[in-house]
Amino acid sequence: MECNVTSESGFDLIKLSGEVDLQFSPQLREKILGCLKAGHPLLIDLAKVSYIDSSGIASLVEGFQTAKTSKLQYGLLNISSTAMQVLTLTRLDKIFDLYSSTDQFKQKLQ
Amino acid sequence: MITTVQKILACQFPACAEQMGNVRHQLREALGPSGQPEAVLNHLVLAVGEACMNIIQHAYGPHDKGDILLEVEIQNVEIQKGEAQTTPEGSSWQRTLVFRLTDFALHKTCAEQMRSRPLDEIRPGGLGCHIINEVMDEVVLLDRQGGPGNVLELRKRL
Repeated sequence: MECNVTSESGFDLIKLSGEVDLQFSPQLREKILGCLKAGHPLLIDLAKVSYIDSSGIASLVEGFQTAKTSKLQYGLLNISSTAMQVLTLTRLDKIFDLYSSTDQFKQKLQ
Repeated sequence: MITTVQKILACQFPACAEQMGNVRHQLREALGPSGQPEAVLNHLVLAVGEACMNIIQHAYGPHDKGDILLEVEIQNVEIQKGEAQTTPEGSSWQRTLVFRLTDFALHKTCAEQMRSRPLDEIRPGGLGCHIINEVMDEVVLLDRQGGPGNVLELRKRL
C-alpha cells in the first residue's frame, strides 16, 4: 500500500494505492486520524486501490465517525471498482459521501 | 450419488498479516481456471482473506502463534434434480468450491463469533464475518481432530 498525504487549499487529500489489508490498515488509520485531529477536512482518493478488506474499511469508518464528531467534511474520491464492491457488500456505499472530483468536494466546503 | 473432488490448492503459512498478500495471490491463481467472473473471484478472495484475518486476530490473537492450512477443492456431486449443470452424458452435477481453513490455536472458536453484526450500526470492526456470510453459501465451524485448533469450511456453489 502507498499512502500519500497532500495539503490542498482548505482540505487534506490522501491518495491510496495498492492493497489495503491488515498489514497496512493501521498506517492508514494513523494518517486519517492525524489529518482530522489537525482540524482539516479530508478527502481520500481510492482510484488506485486494488484490494481493500474489512480492516481497511474499518479505518475509513473510524475516520467517518471522527469527522462527524469534529464537524469536518469527509469524503471518498474516485473509488476503484474493487473497493466499490467491498463498500457495496458492507452497505457502506450509502453511508460515505462519494465524490468524482476534488472540485465537487471543494464546493461542499463552501 | 457420486462425488468427485478436485484439489486445487493446499498451502500452509504462518498466521500473520505479512503473509496475506502472497496467500491471496496464490488463491487467485488457483481459482483462475474455475471460470468464475472477475467480480466473483474478488469476492471469494476477499472472504477467504477475512477468514484468515479472523484466525490471526482472534484464534491465535496476540499471545499465540502458529500456522494456517488453506485447502481449496472443487466438489462435483451428482444429483437427481435442481438447477445443476448437465453433462453430455445426461447426468446432473452440482459444483461447489470448498475452502477449508485449519488453525492449530489453543483458543476454541465458537459459532457465535462467526455471526454477522447488524449493519445499521455504523462502527469500525466486525464486518469480516458479514463479508464471509454474504459471499459464501455455507459456513461451517468444526473441531480439529487430533489436537488443538479449529477447522472452518466455507462453501460456494458454482
